[in-house]
Amino acid sequence: MLPIGSINPGLTALPLSRPEALTGSPAAGTDGITSAPGSSNGFGTMLDGLVNLVDEKQAAEQVTTQKVLLGNTDQLHQSVIAMQEASVALSLMVQVRNKLVESYQELMRMSV
Amino acid sequence: MNLISGTDITADALSAQKTRLDIVAQNIANAQTTRTPSGGPYQRQIVSFETELLKQTGGSSLETVRVSGITPDPTPGQQVYNPQHPDAGPDGMVTMPNVNLAYEMVDLITASRAYEANLSFAKDARTLAQKTLEIGK
Repeated sequence: MLPIGSINPGLTALPLSRPEALTGSPAAGTDGITSAPGSSNGFGTMLDGLVNLVDEKQAAEQVTTQKVLLGNTDQLHQSVIAMQEASVALSLMVQVRNKLVESYQELMRMSV
Repeated sequence: MNLISGTDITADALSAQKTRLDIVAQNIANAQTTRTPSGGPYQRQIVSFETELLKQTGGSSLETVRVSGITPDPTPGQQVYNPQHPDAGPDGMVTMPNVNLAYEMVDLITASRAYEANLSFAKDARTLAQKTLEIGK
């Protein structure tokens, strides 16, 4: 039987690299599957970038909303537009995650 | 990186129209002001816009809008006979601001409609982005 990792080495690292990126803690891989942080495997890095993008958008949104709420600026629309962007970025991340889980389950169902 | 294209332009346009609305408010508020720090009655202010090239990382370059300047209207104000007024001249005439409320109302309506038009773009851009994400469903 062929291990999944030999088809695409990046796949094994996937389910683990995401929660690690979310919490920001250097969690090691469990159950014998090792994630490779910092290595240039395509999927993991891409997903890391995506999570960072969402995080960035939400941070920017928080800064502008805080400015409006504190009365430092009257640019209400910028806060709302930043909120919109953060929301779309989150939806994009969720979509990517859904697709990944879907393809992972597809692979798991495969009888070799 | 910008996820929804065009929102930067809309944000700038909203800022510009907001400045215009603020200036209309200022003009209406000072429609009876006969004394200013620079002396003389209040002068109506006019907002003008100019385009600004928006730097983009990818795709075509787009032009956004910004306020190029707020200039005073040089039209002379109306002379009103009111000898009791503290700002009346020796002949009893008071120079009123050159604010015409009818003009200001027209400006107010056009500025708020322009603001609404930009808002509907912002709304539409979001809807389109969400619809695009539904491709994968």
